[in-house]
Amino acid sequence: MCSTTFASLGRAQATALGFSDLPLAVIPHPFGSRSRAEIRELAGDCVADLAKLLCEPVEARRGGDAVGSVAPPRAVLISVADDPDAINHLVRERNWGDGLPVVPPTEARVARMLNHSVRGRHDVVAAIAPGFGVATVEGIAINAVLAGCDPAYLPVLIAATEAMAEPQFNLQVIQTTTHPVAVMLMLNGPVVQRLQVNCGTNCFGPGSWANATLGRALRLIQQNIGGALPGKIDQATQGQPGKYTFCFAENETANPWQPLQVERGYAPDTSTVTVVGASGTSNMITHARDAHDLLRVIAGTMRVPATLEYIYGGEPWIVLAPEHAAVLKNDGLEKSDVKHRLWELSKLPASSLALKDLARAQNGRSAELGDIGSATDLPISVCADDITIVVAGGPGTHSVYVPVFGTSRSVTRAIAL
Amino acid sequence: MSGSLLIYDPVAQAGCANQELFRLESLSGKTVGFIDNGKPNFNFLVDDLAELLRARYGVAAIVKRRKRGPSVPVPDAIVNELAEQCDAVITGSGD
Repeated sequence: MCSTTFASLGRAQATALGFSDLPLAVIPHPFGSRSRAEIRELAGDCVADLAKLLCEPVEARRGGDAVGSVAPPRAVLISVADDPDAINHLVRERNWGDGLPVVPPTEARVARMLNHSVRGRHDVVAAIAPGFGVATVEGIAINAVLAGCDPAYLPVLIAATEAMAEPQFNLQVIQTTTHPVAVMLMLNGPVVQRLQVNCGTNCFGPGSWANATLGRALRLIQQNIGGALPGKIDQATQGQPGKYTFCFAENETANPWQPLQVERGYAPDTSTVTVVGASGTSNMITHARDAHDLLRVIAGTMRVPATLEYIYGGEPWIVLAPEHAAVLKNDGLEKSDVKHRLWELSKLPASSLALKDLARAQNGRSAELGDIGSATDLPISVCADDITIVVAGGPGTHSVYVPVFGTSRSVTRAIAL
Repeated sequence: MSGSLLIYDPVAQAGCANQELFRLESLSGKTVGFIDNGKPNFNFLVDDLAELLRARYGVAAIVKRRKRGPSVPVPDAIVNELAEQCDAVITGSGD
């Protein structure tokens, strides 16, 4: 069953999974705001349709191949007039892009890109939800060219594609939800210097070729390989600018603690990429000069009742400015201390939530927290360690709160350079 | 400018061939499962539809399972349980 707005998504999803004839009952949108009596009436209206669909003959077509088990696709060449306007016209006509002009993925450009991967051209990297298109090394390279990437960037995108296909990242929902979530990339290790990924001033943009085109390429992979066409499959109510591109690096030299990839078990000289389901960015400008004052106002920014964090227990990210990280370190705090203090300080009274959202929190977190009443203090995440602390940016007293899509967990992968 | 250029199509086809669907002859005596997606009001719709399917169409048994929330995948154990017990399973997507 789908509400009207979601019917095209439901059909596309069923088709992608190999059930193009799946019975689909459509009910009027919006649905969640109706009264109990209206729901009863709706059930009466749609039960006959539902019963009919369950018993209606369907054309049975044999196939039976599981997702990803068919032979990996080979990219198709298309002839187009050798003119930027004609190429961009084709891109617009076929919905290949993100609304910005592209670099034509010619055989020569794709071949140059492929020279930078240790993997075979037709190796399968992952099947990308929700369309479950198969991302081969070739397909990733084509989209990387389209986004304007340098050939040396390819290994980053292969690792990022692998990472976002991990079940705990929950790409299926990220690609289809009304929520504005974007896939944010953070790089660590020697790759940062090697590819000149900006970790300092303006690291969230604009101005760095690597940051801009890497984030853009991953978005194009989500769309062209995963099938998340805006307005058709991607149902984001507004979306967000980060869905064009959202890539930065950790400022490891300004980080007084371990960088993220080391915290996650990789060696300091291992290059990694981390994918994060990021809802957006909230600026936190504060001249706080002691740790308690600083953590108090950061926690105050995190305590937003209308986010998914408190409904499910999330994995919020704090991107500390080097100056703020220094304040915390100078007051003797280690990263784990910062996490624990923020976890305590950011607890939110359940009474702050809208009543419907409180009911969702009760459904979403009763196994974790037991009975949840209006007097319950809801932690932002299941445990303090689920708060991620990284350091990035240049001089200035601005840190960034990145609320993360509640049911997604970031994934870190080594980059095979 | 003149001439033509060959460029790659960046779009991947879905990686899954069409699979066989089975239909029910009738709902009478059958077991119908519901996966409540946890969205507001869906639990009420499930309750009402369950009642109507029993009363009007002779459905013998209803199995209801609720997710933690709409953006949480159904646990494998529940998928397996419903697959074993039910002749048809209904779930929802939307707002």
